[in-house]
Amino acid sequence: MNRVTLRKTIVACAVLAAALLLAIVLMSLLGSEPLPVRASLCALASFGTSTCGLTQDQFAILFQIRLPRILLAAAVGGSLATAGAGYQALLRNPLAEPYLLGISNGAAVGTMIALVFFGTIEWTRPILAFGGALVATLAVYRLARGRAGATPERLILAGVIVTTFLSSVIVFVTVLMDATKIRSFTFWLLGDLSGTSKALLPLTIVITVAGALALTLHARSLNLLMLGERDAFDLGVEVGRVRILVFLVASLLVGSSVAASGSVGYVGLVVPHLARLSLGSDNRISIPAAALGGALFVIVADTVARTIIAPRELPVGAITALIGAPLFIYLLKRA
Amino acid sequence: MLEGRNITVAYDHRIAVTDVTLSLKQGEITAIIGPNGAGKSTLLRTLNGQLPRSSGSVLLDGEPIERLNRRSISRRIAVVAQEAELRFPVTVLEFVLGGRFAWATHSGWGWETERDLDVAESVIRETELGSLSARLMSELSGGERQRALMARALATEAPILLLDEPTANLDLSHQATLLSLVRARCDQHRAAALVVTHDINLASEFADNILLMKQGRTVNNGRPQEVLTPEILRDVFEIRILVDAHPVTGGPRITPVHEPICD
Amino acid sequence: MIYYGRSVRTHRNQFVWMAVVVCLALLSACTPGRTANNGPTREITDDAGRRVSLPTKVDRVVSLAPNLTEIVFAVGAGNRLVGRTSYCDYPPEAKAIAEVGDTIHPNIEPIIALKPQVVFVSTASQLEAFTQQLQGQNIAVFVTDPHDLEGVFRSIEQIGEIVGEKDRANQLVQKLRERTNAVQQAVKLKPLVKVFYQTSGEPLYTVGRDSFVTDLIRRAGGASVTADVPGAWPKYSNESALAARPDAIILPTGGSMGAANANVVEALRQSPAVLNGRVYKINDDHLARPGPRLVDGLEEMARVLHPDAFGK
Repeated sequence: MNRVTLRKTIVACAVLAAALLLAIVLMSLLGSEPLPVRASLCALASFGTSTCGLTQDQFAILFQIRLPRILLAAAVGGSLATAGAGYQALLRNPLAEPYLLGISNGAAVGTMIALVFFGTIEWTRPILAFGGALVATLAVYRLARGRAGATPERLILAGVIVTTFLSSVIVFVTVLMDATKIRSFTFWLLGDLSGTSKALLPLTIVITVAGALALTLHARSLNLLMLGERDAFDLGVEVGRVRILVFLVASLLVGSSVAASGSVGYVGLVVPHLARLSLGSDNRISIPAAALGGALFVIVADTVARTIIAPRELPVGAITALIGAPLFIYLLKRA
Repeated sequence: MLEGRNITVAYDHRIAVTDVTLSLKQGEITAIIGPNGAGKSTLLRTLNGQLPRSSGSVLLDGEPIERLNRRSISRRIAVVAQEAELRFPVTVLEFVLGGRFAWATHSGWGWETERDLDVAESVIRETELGSLSARLMSELSGGERQRALMARALATEAPILLLDEPTANLDLSHQATLLSLVRARCDQHRAAALVVTHDINLASEFADNILLMKQGRTVNNGRPQEVLTPEILRDVFEIRILVDAHPVTGGPRITPVHEPICD
Repeated sequence: MIYYGRSVRTHRNQFVWMAVVVCLALLSACTPGRTANNGPTREITDDAGRRVSLPTKVDRVVSLAPNLTEIVFAVGAGNRLVGRTSYCDYPPEAKAIAEVGDTIHPNIEPIIALKPQVVFVSTASQLEAFTQQLQGQNIAVFVTDPHDLEGVFRSIEQIGEIVGEKDRANQLVQKLRERTNAVQQAVKLKPLVKVFYQTSGEPLYTVGRDSFVTDLIRRAGGASVTADVPGAWPKYSNESALAARPDAIILPTGGSMGAANANVVEALRQSPAVLNGRVYKINDDHLARPGPRLVDGLEEMARVLHPDAFGK
């Protein structure tokens, strides 16, 4: 594989962005209620200004239920994939992933605390989720750090410890909480995009884009960091500063997506992996590609989740796990 | 160029380096030798600013190193480590291009310039990795990887090279090649090099200056002929050592005699 | 995973339930007619298809679900209840009884320590784990799992028979049947109201084919828009809820649920039900507990769906 150039990056990102746009349009045609294809496409093309013959209900389904949900899926997928790529560079390990490392659980605990103490004030959720993710990230980092850096074994061990500990915390909190308040938690903990809150959606999208941009702008430093902190330091990377940045940005990405949709697993593992496999390890191309690819992945997974047993729904995390886990095993074998 | 004055380094509740002074001069190779735990690598890492000192100063071109930012240090000091962590697939060319990071206009983003590519290709040729530049680093042999590390350091175009046991994984022929490269750099480009090594004979052959350390202190500092005497070496390594003249180079040739010293 | 007061079936689909029933059938085949206690016994088949061996005289029972606690008290056997879950809060006298955990994770040690002869269980899924243990201690496990109102009546009769209050149970069921028939008569000629039953919002859950609430809605003169959806408490798509255009929405809330589920989900805010002000909150304890108070819930539902059928 040749080295990555600006042109390659632009081409790859343009292709993925086009695919993403196509997916948004196509997946909005699918759902538990059938919508007329031509009219829907026409309405989409007009950005909702014209109903193009859709009934009021159909229009509402398309623009108030489906499209926001698809956009949320894109934001969540983009966030988690970018965070995964960031953690993999930071921890120097291709197996680092927010879900497996328990960071999603940390964000979930934060969200639960927000729900218990600040119930209706929605913006407290991503903030406390961010805090929870940060704490979990620090815990994993501290635990995984040995003399030789984060070896895969130490990392997985640290992840298992943090994940199981935080799962217990979650169960503990649910037992203490008024059981009726957290009825919906069980589904949400597996990743649920159906509760698309109007208020949180724009925030989630903004965070996704900002986070992906922030990490991409440090891609060159991450390239060096990925090959060893000491070497990166020698070559001129401000290691301490970049580390803090990645910690903060990745935790923010995980926090905002978990606060909006619960723990959707495997996205942060599988998508960056595929991006690196097909485009190379250079973060300048693999981070933006992961962001776009992650959005695509979750949009498709969520469409499956909401159509396969329609009118009932599966949690999207179940679908990403069904695809992600075997893929993960396959990737492990190749490594 | 690079000067360390009265450097003392303490960490993990022990004092690793005590009151060491040395100065690297242009065109010269200085070797640091000594038994394990002598503080050689610690000293090297203090000189590039990575390890904090308890006391003393490090001056880079006359400026205290704390005042300089990371990138400007990296443009002037390059470190060649023993081995690279290669957990992600990377080609030799990409790896060597990493050395150009310090010259990027924006830290963190940006693309390699024509100049970057030229420099990288030329150092790859210099280290005899030309045929391997598109291969993955993980596919290379130990010796080839070491040369790639050398190439990356040379790609920084830094006038000061710090090498930490660079020949540890190399076979005889590659050991000589690597140090000849360093020698050539110092001679032709007026670079200065500091080599931490276990191999006293290699030090004797290539170094202009030898710093002999034991338990964090300077035992001796000077030309190989001055430092590499049987008495001094026996005190430091606690083993009997024969020193004679190398039949080809004429410099000191060290041969340890493996019998315990009875006191 | 904690669920309040309701069986775990809420979030399991039918397939899992069937698999468990098969396992239980095999289990009971392996332990044929094992005596639950010493002394004379009889056999009753429970809702999980198990033939349960019970002593003819029962004076110590444990209930592992709020509806079962209500039934035990309603048939006059409250003094024979020695253990209940933390969710069993009705009637008020129930609160004096020792707790043995909650419905989903009952604590086996206090159950055994209380030395009951029968444990009443409302869900099949926890069974495998402790059926064997309890049987080893000579404690019988009786499963109830009604899918409709008749099933609830049967539960009451069976429990009454088990605790030796057959007559009182039959009388109770008789009265409940009378009230049910009265309701059904009153709404017989009324046009069916399209109802959406919101079990909980964000995420959206409703009642499906296998839930007794669906039967209740039918009897109350409503047509549940989700009556054909497989499962008992399925998670439902927002789009389908919107497209269903219900004329009335039932919000079970205010009982054990507290203030939760007091609002209609976003997707239904433009539905005819909301626009016409036909959103009705009913005490969830009257609709979620398959026990005597279910008929209260039936009456309340019928009254709001067909106010003109019930006089002033």
